[in-house]
Amino acid sequence: MKTLIAIKEQYHTWVHEAFPAMHPLLLPLCNKPFIEYLIDFAILAGSREVRLLSDGQLTEVEEHCGTGSRWGIELSYANLHPADDQQQLLDKNRKFCGGGRTMILTGYNFISYNKQKSYLDLATIATDTPIASCPGGTITLKGPPESGASEKSPLAPFSITPLDSVQSYFRISMETLQTGSSRYVLPGYGSEPDCSIGKNVIISKTAQIRKPVSIGDNVQILPKTIIGPSAIIGSNVVIDNGCSVSGSIIIDNTYIGENLEIDMRIAAGNTLIDPTSGVSLTMEDPHLLVGIKTWATTAILKRKTIHALAATILLVLQFIPFILLFPLLKLQGKWKDDPYMQETGLAGALAVAISLDRFPLLLKVITGKLDIIGSSSRSTCAGKHSYPDSGPLSRLAVFSYAEAEDWPVNGSDAAIVERFHAVHSTPIKDIGMTIKALINRLTKGR
Amino acid sequence: MKSVITLALPCDIRFTRLASQMAANTASLLASTCNADTGNWEFSHAFELAISEAFSNAVFYSTEKTASQKVTITFTLEQHRLMATIRDTNEPFSIETPEPSIENYPERGYGLMLIRTVMDTVSYIRENGENIITMSKQL
Amino acid sequence: MTITETSDGSITIVALCGTIDSSTAPELHKSPAIADTLRSVVIDLEKVDFLDSSGLGALVGTLRLKQEAKAAVLLSCMNPRVRKVFDITGTVKLFHIFDDTSAAVEYAATHNEG
Repeated sequence: MKTLIAIKEQYHTWVHEAFPAMHPLLLPLCNKPFIEYLIDFAILAGSREVRLLSDGQLTEVEEHCGTGSRWGIELSYANLHPADDQQQLLDKNRKFCGGGRTMILTGYNFISYNKQKSYLDLATIATDTPIASCPGGTITLKGPPESGASEKSPLAPFSITPLDSVQSYFRISMETLQTGSSRYVLPGYGSEPDCSIGKNVIISKTAQIRKPVSIGDNVQILPKTIIGPSAIIGSNVVIDNGCSVSGSIIIDNTYIGENLEIDMRIAAGNTLIDPTSGVSLTMEDPHLLVGIKTWATTAILKRKTIHALAATILLVLQFIPFILLFPLLKLQGKWKDDPYMQETGLAGALAVAISLDRFPLLLKVITGKLDIIGSSSRSTCAGKHSYPDSGPLSRLAVFSYAEAEDWPVNGSDAAIVERFHAVHSTPIKDIGMTIKALINRLTKGR
Repeated sequence: MKSVITLALPCDIRFTRLASQMAANTASLLASTCNADTGNWEFSHAFELAISEAFSNAVFYSTEKTASQKVTITFTLEQHRLMATIRDTNEPFSIETPEPSIENYPERGYGLMLIRTVMDTVSYIRENGENIITMSKQL
Repeated sequence: MTITETSDGSITIVALCGTIDSSTAPELHKSPAIADTLRSVVIDLEKVDFLDSSGLGALVGTLRLKQEAKAAVLLSCMNPRVRKVFDITGTVKLFHIFDDTSAAVEYAATHNEG
């Protein structure tokens, strides 16, 4: 028997909204991608050839699942049209089906089954009506039944449930965690049935693990944390000091900041989702919950553009004063390449007050090498011309947030205020902060 | 150990296939020297596709269609990594183009989307009057 | 690229062979069955060894013109290399894609009558 798995995009649009970074077919349920459960079921039913059909992109799924050799099957990929019905699916894959017995799984549904039972009899059942159905799709057998030793043993139980919302996703994940590895083939190591741990996982001596738990790969669990009961921790996750995670799912690539209690939630990046109401909350405070991933390139581009515009305006405003004062200071030998000039003499004081010392740096904002406001640029200006690829938390800039807030420009205090703004800034707020920095310097200069 | 292969082609649409086949063959060569899975067509296809797109683009946007104008393609073979750069002397452009909306049945604009998807890294710089697109992929 | 046209009832099968890129894609519109917007066609891609965005654009353009004239364009026998280009660009949504040319012809014939 062959299997066609046909999943139309319309059934999983909610995944894009709830977990934008995740391909719906690879959405992890208890750290195992969704599609692998369906492939496992097809194999239990005796399929050696499985084809995945979608009206959306499959490239990512193809990269993940490959040719199917790791399951010992032939896995192929093809496309369907959003309007296709079951007959059309058979027509479009006629060569694949070869006129033989074919099981068609449609919809974005979770199949609950038991890996210890045999589903091979599905190939011999003579029925054209769906053998399982739910609002989101069906399991149907098409083509002539295969003749086989049918001892008329009762078919092993299985059922399908639509995965149609964050609520059902949470519920099914938790059920899978409870029933655990006795029913499904689950990833990770574990000598106990309801505790599995992936590769490269570091668990602090003072952390507590309360079953059932499932932990993915590359996870750090720091001191004094309590994981579980009923916690699903994805891959590439850091659980910081003193956190507790229970009855919750932490999606891949998430950082859980210090002393946070997560109970009955789904955490993904910097978003916390309440699985009972489906309400999601994006955390403002970076010390509670931070996405590890860097910012989207489009956001960086937007920020760079607005910063460059602001720099241009400043350049125009400062142009005449600069032309007048620069030769004077240069002749007096008071102009140094270090922008943090000593305010000696009237001309020097005036130059610093109206921030002429930063004039040359503004050009670098226009070329995108610096930001107009960000972290303290003191280190940048020490005659170095290398601008390291700065992450979101340290953007080298002409003015610093510490200057805008009138905090001491040096020391760790400044680092905190800069870190805070680096996380919370928007391009428009940045302009406001730049103006504040300019005014602060002007009033201090007097 | 690095090997560098340079190909200078006239800025003419007729040479698109030459460029893309060269890319595919170079990628296969690297894959075979690294004893990689020879049944894996994706690595060489990625370069075949990306170079086909980038070369077509360079020719499409060329301003003076003179025989002297060249598109230069350089392949740098490193350990388990292939890098390709394409240089042309056309007007500067932006690689931040919006993705076409499928509902309107667009006939153009898929090129960069394809390059970005099949390659690991893609970058564009303008230097000495040249557009330089650099792309690379790990084996 | 070579183009072979054969007729199966009211449906024309256009079999493409070779490479469809920016240098060959314009040839597609020279095919009489493609150029005639009223004619439904099945485009057999089995022997296409390479297709890039120019080739894809030509097929999408053909589909648009024919759909406006109420004719159908069906694709058949895409190999994984060709499918990848459709997959990445999301154009799979626009086409009806078959793994068997005769199934596509049957579909087109019944579709026309209905």
